[in-house]
Amino acid sequence: MAVPPSPTVFVVDDEAPVRRALSRMLRANRFAVATFASSKEFLGQYDPDASGCLVLDIMMPGNGLELQRVLQKKGCTLPIIFLTGYGDVSKSVQALKGGAIDFLTKPVNDQSLLRAVRAAIEKNRVTRQEQTQVSEICSRLATLTPRERQVLEHIVSGELNKQIAGHLGITQRTVKAHRARLMAKMKVDSVAKLVCLANRCGITGSSS
Amino acid sequence: MSWITIVWSMNAAACLTLASIFFVAWCKQRESWVHLIFSCIALAAAAIAVFELQLIHADTPQEYGAILRWRYVPVWALVVSLVGFTRLYLRAGRSWLAWSACGLKTLTLILNFISTPNVHYREITALRQLSWGGEMASVPLGTPNHWSLVNQVTLLLLLAFFIDATIIVWRRGDRQRALLVGGSIIFFGVIVAAQVMLVVWGVIQVPFVSSFAYLGIVAALGYQLCDDTVRAAQLARKLDASQAALLKTERDLEIAASAVGLALWAWDVAHDEVWLSNQARALYGFSPSEKLNTQRIRRVVHPEDREVVRKAVENSLQTGAENPAEYRVVLPDGRIRWVARRSRTEFDSNGNAIWMHGVLFDVTERRLAEERFRLVVDAAPAAMIMANKEGRMTLVNKRAETLFGYKRDELIGQPVEMLVPERFRSHYVSFREGYFGDAQARPMGAGRELFGQCKDGSEVPIEIGLNPVHTSEGLCVLASIIDISERKQAELEAARQRHELAHLLRVTMLGELSGSLAHELNQPLTAILSNAQAAQKLLAGDAVDVSELREILAEIVDEDKHAGEVIQRLRVLFRKGEVGHHFGNLDISQIVQDVLKLMRNDLVIHDVTVQTELAENLPAVQGDRVELQQVLLNLMLNGCEAMADCDSSERQLLITSGMENGAVRVSVTDRGGSIPEERMERVFEPFFTTKANGMGLGLSVCHNIVKAHRGNIWVTNNAEGGATFHFSLPARSQAQKNNT
Repeated sequence: MAVPPSPTVFVVDDEAPVRRALSRMLRANRFAVATFASSKEFLGQYDPDASGCLVLDIMMPGNGLELQRVLQKKGCTLPIIFLTGYGDVSKSVQALKGGAIDFLTKPVNDQSLLRAVRAAIEKNRVTRQEQTQVSEICSRLATLTPRERQVLEHIVSGELNKQIAGHLGITQRTVKAHRARLMAKMKVDSVAKLVCLANRCGITGSSS
Repeated sequence: MSWITIVWSMNAAACLTLASIFFVAWCKQRESWVHLIFSCIALAAAAIAVFELQLIHADTPQEYGAILRWRYVPVWALVVSLVGFTRLYLRAGRSWLAWSACGLKTLTLILNFISTPNVHYREITALRQLSWGGEMASVPLGTPNHWSLVNQVTLLLLLAFFIDATIIVWRRGDRQRALLVGGSIIFFGVIVAAQVMLVVWGVIQVPFVSSFAYLGIVAALGYQLCDDTVRAAQLARKLDASQAALLKTERDLEIAASAVGLALWAWDVAHDEVWLSNQARALYGFSPSEKLNTQRIRRVVHPEDREVVRKAVENSLQTGAENPAEYRVVLPDGRIRWVARRSRTEFDSNGNAIWMHGVLFDVTERRLAEERFRLVVDAAPAAMIMANKEGRMTLVNKRAETLFGYKRDELIGQPVEMLVPERFRSHYVSFREGYFGDAQARPMGAGRELFGQCKDGSEVPIEIGLNPVHTSEGLCVLASIIDISERKQAELEAARQRHELAHLLRVTMLGELSGSLAHELNQPLTAILSNAQAAQKLLAGDAVDVSELREILAEIVDEDKHAGEVIQRLRVLFRKGEVGHHFGNLDISQIVQDVLKLMRNDLVIHDVTVQTELAENLPAVQGDRVELQQVLLNLMLNGCEAMADCDSSERQLLITSGMENGAVRVSVTDRGGSIPEERMERVFEPFFTTKANGMGLGLSVCHNIVKAHRGNIWVTNNAEGGATFHFSLPARSQAQKNNT
């Protein structure tokens, strides 16, 4: 697993003076800053592992909202703070629906922007942490045999051993053995914890 | 019957015959008194012959004396008549001689009747019967009366009178009359006087035969008168012939005169008789036979013009000048006729006018034409001024009077320059000289604004049309002048409204752009704010990076300037165009760049890319920067809107510029939909729109603006889809040419 890089504020604005000023202000507040003149430039240097947040001018060649969509498609988790020249309600709604963390109007006050940037970085940190946990659980899940996985699914559905044995056509003893092994592999000591982990990995129970 | 009776009777008869003939002649021609007098002479001679016959046949001395006394009456009548005849017919003889001779003769006649038996004899003692050619004739015997000396003196006086008269006539050159009349009177008179004296004094003894001498006189006078009559008849015939010729000439003259509309007249000044040719009579409305004099003619002259006529006639009478004059004649039916007169005067040796001849012509048509012309000129809606080559006004109409505030009399004959404002005068004079060099109908000033100077010193904007007019006084120029102050006002008002509407539309358009404009302004503000806050943060730290601060401040200054520029651009667009301001010289590429800057953010929002293909070194155009920006802005916004539904990659605007037919053209090409053919013409009409919430004013305002710049705006469809809007403006060099 790669060491997560320090959080960076990615600023995308088509106007260099604005880029420079924002970058300067953020750097003065001890943020790492990377600036891009357009969505295209940003996408060209996009690093999926990058952490931090994105400060995006909504009004620029290539359109900020468009970039938001593209990044979403790529599964980018960087929270986006939109900057706009003037409050356009429909655009702000669209942006927020797309998962934007904030929608600020220019000229933006440093406190507002810093607050939003901090919140975004925090959110990104949490997200990334969560993502790390989930991937660990998933890797644990990957160690299960198909039968153990079948048993796990039935457990998540809330079935008793007897019912599982019935469904799978095996004895209750065998079910119990699978269950013990499964719990050990998933490093949990209770069924409640197991169900919680399984849920986080997207296992919601047997459909049968 | 004895031969004596026959001879004396014939004598008497001959005289009587002549007397009666000439009496009848006198009756027919009362004014010829000569004939009457001759008639008296002949009658008296006849009477004398009768008395003489009686004397020859007298039986007693008493009878003889009485007859001789009465015989003196016709003798007296004959002598007096002869004197009268001489005076009247020969127009000669001293009047004192005539009067004294007649007086003495009358005295003798009185003495004759006082004396017994008569003035010749104191006493007739006896009659002696004398045998005379076989006939017996009485001859008196007696003592002569000494009173007969008076008679002799009378005879001498008479002789002197007649000789004197004869000499005068002879000297006058009328020798036939001198010989026949004067000579016969003298000759026969002497015979009579001699015979009477010789008989009375008893020198010879013969009967009185003086009647034959008288017959001689009568015959001579009669011959002369007959000769006169014959000559008169011949003259009359000649006169008739010459009169006929004259009449023909007159008629020819009249025909010729009437052919050219001339009527002839003549005025016998002394007798105040006026002769008018038929044409002239028709002109005045007189009948062909009416007798005319000046009074009669004066009556038909229009009362207002009588003074004019009187002066002309008086002047002609005094100076003999032609004195042309025009006056009105009132015809019997009340119509008015304009007549022109012209005359020539003949003077006698004393310088008195005796005849005046002249022509008249009917100038009614001309006068009416003049009046109509004047009325038309006066009624013309434009002020009219005619000026000659020297630039002096020869005609002005009412409108010109009211326009410039002068009275007609103050303008006629004055230089036109007085109506030209001071600052244009020198230019005007050279213009006028140039105009006469190549005179043709054309407007004056050609595009420049012209002003007229009024009497009160104010100036009025005018438009002048010039027309060369070839008059009898040479080439003139007729200027029709229109006061265009109202039109100017209306034009100004229309321009004001156009500006107002353009401004309204501009503001509306800027409203549409407000999002991108706010962004445009917010960008520098953002940079400034963030830079400033970064600086604050840096200053709050421990180590202050001065170079960083310097950079920040430099950037703040730059961005502030940038913001200022944005505001300036906006302010210009929001500004209300001044009415009637002067257009400046503009670089069309600069305008394209300005608009691109303004629209930059809007283009970003609409995701429209713009390509420009601007020709270099285009000539400048004259125009209002803001309004031309507005046109381009409008066309570009329309293009963006037309492509709103297009795919992102298709949203491209192409802006091109170039020269086309001497005009600078700008075209905006979009890739939206095409414009249906039937709508191509209508897109520039006001309130024509295809947009859901459009007013339909944008393109019509563009159209107005371009037209106000003397340019064109049009639209074409592109082969590959979309439409192209073009507008062209006259290049400055050409616009300048137009201006001069």
